[in-house]
Amino acid sequence: MSSNLRTYSAKAFGLGLCLLLAGLIGGEVTCVAASVDKSKLPPAATKAADFIQDIQPIFEKSCYGCHGPEKQKGKYRLDVRETALKGGDTGPNIIAGKSADSPLIHYVSGLVEDMKMPAKGDALTAEQIGLLRAWIDQGAQWPEASGTVAVGSKKSHWAFQPPKRPAIPTVANGRWPRNPIDSFILAKLEQNELRPSPPVDKATLIRRLSFDLIGLPPTPEEVGQFVKDRRADAYERLVERLLDSPHYGERWARHWLDVVRFAESNGFETNTPRPNAWPYRDYIIRALNADKPYTQFVLEQLAGDAMGEDAATGFIVGGPWDEVKSPDVNLTLQQRNDELHDMVATTASTFLGLTVGCARCHNHKFDPISQTDYYAMQAVFAGVQHGERPLRTKDYEQRKQEAEKMEQFLAGLDEKLEGFEPLACMTVNGQTNLPLRAPVNARRNVERFAPVSAKLVRFTILATSNLEPCIDELEIFSAGENSRNVALATNGATATASGTYPNSDIHKLEHINDGRYGNGRSWISSEIGKGWVQIEFPQTYSIDRIVWGRDREQKYSDRLATNYVIEVATEPGKWQVIASSQDRKPYGSGSKIEADYAQTLSANETVELHSLLQQAEEARQKVKQWNTRPTVYAGMFLQPGVTFRLYRGDPLQKREQVTPGALEEFGPKTELTVTTPEWQRRLALARWVIDPQNPMTARVMVNRIWQHHFGEGLVSTPSDFGLNGARPSHPELLDWLALEFQKSGWSIKAMHRLIVLSNTYQQSSRPNAESSRVDAAGRLLWRFTPRRLEAEPLRDAILSASGKLDFKMGGPGFDLFEPNNNYVRVYNSKKEFGPGEFRRMIYQTKPRMQLDDTFGAFDCPDAGQIAPRRNSSTTPLQALNLLNSSFTMQQAGFLAERLQRDAGADAKAQVRRAFRLLFAREPSSEEITRSLKLIKEQDLFTFCRAMLNANEFLYVF
Amino acid sequence: MRQDELSHAGRRLLDRRSFLQHAGTGLAGIALTALLSKQGLLAAEKDHSPIRPQIRSQAPLAARLPHFAPKAKRVLVIFCSGACSHLDSWDYKPELIKFDGKPMPGSEKLITFQGENGNLVKSPYTFKPRGQSGKYISDLFPQLAEMADEMCFIHSMTAKSNTHGPAENQMSTGFTLDGFPSMGAWASYALGTECDDLPAFVAIPDPRGVPQAGPNHWSSGFLPAVFQGTAFNADKPIPNLARPAKISEQAERSTRDFLKFLNNKRLEQYPEDSELSARIASYELAAKMQLRAAEVSDLSHESEFIREMYGVNDANKTKASYARNCLLARRLLERDVRFVQLFNGSYAMGEGVGNWDGHKKLKEQYDIHAPVFDQPTAALLRDLKGRGLLEDTLVVWTTEFGRMPMFQKGASGRDHNPKGFTVWMTGAGVKRAFSYGATDSFGYEAVENITTIYDLHATILHLLGLDHERVSFYHNGIERRLTDVHGQVIQGILA
Repeated sequence: MSSNLRTYSAKAFGLGLCLLLAGLIGGEVTCVAASVDKSKLPPAATKAADFIQDIQPIFEKSCYGCHGPEKQKGKYRLDVRETALKGGDTGPNIIAGKSADSPLIHYVSGLVEDMKMPAKGDALTAEQIGLLRAWIDQGAQWPEASGTVAVGSKKSHWAFQPPKRPAIPTVANGRWPRNPIDSFILAKLEQNELRPSPPVDKATLIRRLSFDLIGLPPTPEEVGQFVKDRRADAYERLVERLLDSPHYGERWARHWLDVVRFAESNGFETNTPRPNAWPYRDYIIRALNADKPYTQFVLEQLAGDAMGEDAATGFIVGGPWDEVKSPDVNLTLQQRNDELHDMVATTASTFLGLTVGCARCHNHKFDPISQTDYYAMQAVFAGVQHGERPLRTKDYEQRKQEAEKMEQFLAGLDEKLEGFEPLACMTVNGQTNLPLRAPVNARRNVERFAPVSAKLVRFTILATSNLEPCIDELEIFSAGENSRNVALATNGATATASGTYPNSDIHKLEHINDGRYGNGRSWISSEIGKGWVQIEFPQTYSIDRIVWGRDREQKYSDRLATNYVIEVATEPGKWQVIASSQDRKPYGSGSKIEADYAQTLSANETVELHSLLQQAEEARQKVKQWNTRPTVYAGMFLQPGVTFRLYRGDPLQKREQVTPGALEEFGPKTELTVTTPEWQRRLALARWVIDPQNPMTARVMVNRIWQHHFGEGLVSTPSDFGLNGARPSHPELLDWLALEFQKSGWSIKAMHRLIVLSNTYQQSSRPNAESSRVDAAGRLLWRFTPRRLEAEPLRDAILSASGKLDFKMGGPGFDLFEPNNNYVRVYNSKKEFGPGEFRRMIYQTKPRMQLDDTFGAFDCPDAGQIAPRRNSSTTPLQALNLLNSSFTMQQAGFLAERLQRDAGADAKAQVRRAFRLLFAREPSSEEITRSLKLIKEQDLFTFCRAMLNANEFLYVF
Repeated sequence: MRQDELSHAGRRLLDRRSFLQHAGTGLAGIALTALLSKQGLLAAEKDHSPIRPQIRSQAPLAARLPHFAPKAKRVLVIFCSGACSHLDSWDYKPELIKFDGKPMPGSEKLITFQGENGNLVKSPYTFKPRGQSGKYISDLFPQLAEMADEMCFIHSMTAKSNTHGPAENQMSTGFTLDGFPSMGAWASYALGTECDDLPAFVAIPDPRGVPQAGPNHWSSGFLPAVFQGTAFNADKPIPNLARPAKISEQAERSTRDFLKFLNNKRLEQYPEDSELSARIASYELAAKMQLRAAEVSDLSHESEFIREMYGVNDANKTKASYARNCLLARRLLERDVRFVQLFNGSYAMGEGVGNWDGHKKLKEQYDIHAPVFDQPTAALLRDLKGRGLLEDTLVVWTTEFGRMPMFQKGASGRDHNPKGFTVWMTGAGVKRAFSYGATDSFGYEAVENITTIYDLHATILHLLGLDHERVSFYHNGIERRLTDVHGQVIQGILA
């Protein structure tokens, strides 16, 4: 009988309390018992149970809601083999080969009070339980390993199939199509008994195309010329002119920057500016203008450092970065994982249109992307750190070499100057007749003394300028000929310390004697205001000089040791003081060169000293000059350590090691290992993205291009082509475009040409009640759907109309916020604007999360998350901003001045000019009459302010 | 409902769903049904599919039906930025007094946000029983403490981050990362507003400056901009609200007439274009808002008694400004603004200087901040109660996380602590004079009825008549929710 009983921790007793008791009595769970009468179990099925066919569907329907990827009630997860078989809080639930002893069967049979499963929904049928029993009795075979996904039907999803070249559809109205795009569109229209709209008039067309391709309105002269141009290829010529315009890159770069969440500040509460992030924006503009093949564009953004395009990797670190660091390891790990998540998720959504980010905590719920895939991609970026690195301009190498040469020269001078250093004086209690030595400085301090034997040297800090003391390098020189730094670890010396600043990559004990200078390779004590560091040589040396500093690179001057003692010993315990701060002038007191060096100098020596000092000063200036090379916020790259899969995405729950790679189920295999150099990982991922075998890349990009021409993509979820994304409205057209894109050598401009030359694009935007009834949203493209200008072209268009637009391209942006020096950046909008702010809005220095007071309300993305598609909302605040902002008031004034300048004093001519400038058309007589009335009753300014608010100005038709 | 009645955004939702429906995914069908039929909207209790708000482009903020009968029609969130210490205010811990100066067992190796901690330190503020309920509250907030019988405390709140920016993000948007819609944006997306001439969602920043996570608190994230919170306070009106001085009233009227003429001309060529007519409507609404927002911000008609009660005339300028903000909050709620956020404490302008971040000199700083906060906030609660507004207004007091029971090593203040802290509510739908959940005996960690910010958000939506699992918006592959994939309504506090 007893073999028929099984002991359970009763749920009614409260699991928490039960565990608590368990903890108190030594870890054994021995709670109240319940028993199961196995005779009441439904019989096992007699057939062979197949996991995929028979078992998984039962689990999916009845169990995964509470024991699946999202919830693991009782810490039990049933959708992953490993955890399913391992069990949960109450131990194993499946005992292979023994269904009658498996708690899972007891629970689903309702035999355990308080543990009747499923807890929600219908109980399992006897037949289902029979299948489960048979499956367990037959060994509980689970065909898939942990960390992989059930592919099956998921892989048949349309977007995961390679694009197939479709036949160009035949259409009834064979005369309408101008290129194959039109055939695809018309075929679908005809299927729905719709007709395309007539061609748009030429003035509206040039306005539409100009905003579309260069983001600026056409000038009235351009409109006039185009309307008058009777040549057959007038439109083609217009298209070519606009595609060749440098403003094309400015317009389309903005679209790209939305997709990649680019901003020029860190985000979070400090939101510190990134003054050197702009070269990435310039790179995008240049690349688009040059019509760089998209494949190259992808390669450079992921691995531009390996191909002479440093700024391009601004893509990888374009997202937010939490710069508030803490000694709390948990927080640090979380922050790092968030940074990497941003890189992984943005790379996948941008280039692949896949939401790989969803697989951070569990296998993707919709797409064949495993958690292992996610961490394989994380391993690709594991060596990327946020920050700036040198922008290798053409003279970069030369400047670097000059700097190094000058540094060497300076080192020689320093050594010569050391000869003039007075000896440290160790008279007790400061009773000394010698004048005091120079005060300590952050760059470099020399301690000279009579030769002394030493096997150990100890540098003890007793006080600092502030915080924990920092030393970037402690150099100890042997006496006599061929003097060398015997403290170097490479010379066999070892370092120990009272304690070292925790959890830092740049402040480490081994940096004290690694021969490298600067804050980035320094030691910091673990205690505020004190600490010691000791060097032990492999043998006893005779030494006569010690050189130390806080930061030889002169970027930091805090954490300086101001009160210190240096001792030597030939054996432990027998310390002898050889130098200290005692005979130095107090920290911060002035330093007089003559007095700081040896006092008893001959006239010649004095001349030499001064000459050396002057040379050294000049050399230092030159080093600084050569070292001031441009930098770019495009990431720093370090060889990473090992990446692990993290259970539920929790950085504290490491699971198996993961090899860097791309997505297992798509494209070719990547040949990466855990030791692959950092940059090669990124390059390999980029090559995988652009591999012709990858079904997503071309489709995703042509869809983005299409979206900005028509306001809506063929796939309306442009960064999600997965199972949860939208289906394409015209799948064959999408495939055709993707293949044309590849055939054109991945030319983005070729795609624009193809699209804007189609008759589909050149349709009128006028509504048609009949068509509206069938397809109000115009998804089938029976007309060109009017749309509101986005914030940037709206601001640019106002400046263009007023004649104040500054066309200066490239370089650092302009700021729409007042300067501010608080340590967390405070953003207050500027109240007034001048020519400095009259450049195109793409050059606005764009802070994250902080929108401009006037144009922010026009659905400007805040770059906190990616914005593959903008909303287009209509709000009263937009109206208020466009009526009352100081920007509108000012520009309306400029527009009035311009109208007077362009059209003279005649109000009617002014009105005509205004309609041409703003609406690209002539006013009707009624419009002239009403305009003149307004101008007469009020003034020209009032007329201009109203015109800038008109729908016809705000919309593209 | 006709498709063209939907906004552009709404149409897109519908379109996308139609395509999914063609694709045969069941989910889509349900969503569409939910969108199109009110029956479907009210019926299925177990249904977790999204309920799409019916948004008309001419009036995207028009009031919409909740999912079920709400307890609260509007919400006031009072947010103390900087992490206001629960141990020095609401969470009474006699053991902390008893073990004052002793190490906390097991805390030797504890490294928190700023590093090592010293010994347990009792609050410098005395706790006393308050009201009829006898709830122990400290002297930090003497006037608010008198309101104890109105309050429903949650002493077991937990946060996901122990650094201000991400934690404030989580408290207001549900996510620690930047870029997600705030709860006010979700509320106005789902419900619109009954007040058609004021913003549906108003954020009132502290007179000293915006809170630490800045505009994230009232961001619309990836929701349409129409649902974004409008930030203004008693000192700084809505940007661009007022007609510029240069424009006379007559000029303004003529401008609007002319604009209407131009837009109507255009509309004749584009009949039934809902976006174009929506923009015409938005200018009319803007004009109404100009009047109403100016009226709501004008505190001069409040009685002297009320002004004194709030502290509007206080010699302490910060307090007087904050008091005006409190009064503004009441006036907004009175006019049926759906969601009001009232901030106390600003961005960091020195550690603990502009906000509640008491790391090093907690008492010195709290002695400055508490008097600014206490009287005006207590007056606001009394005033809301007196006017009967607490009947259908939910008030939530919160901060981003709590603080440690120890002082930091070598300092006289407390480090960040997301493991347990206090939030309180009052007003519509919650119990009065009630305490829910608890931290351990030193107030270090929530141990009883552990509550998450997801739960808090689920509860707020629930009181507004919304199922937090069904208020969602599709963004980049995911039906995004305020509560992500978490959250349970805190049944224990519901009245």
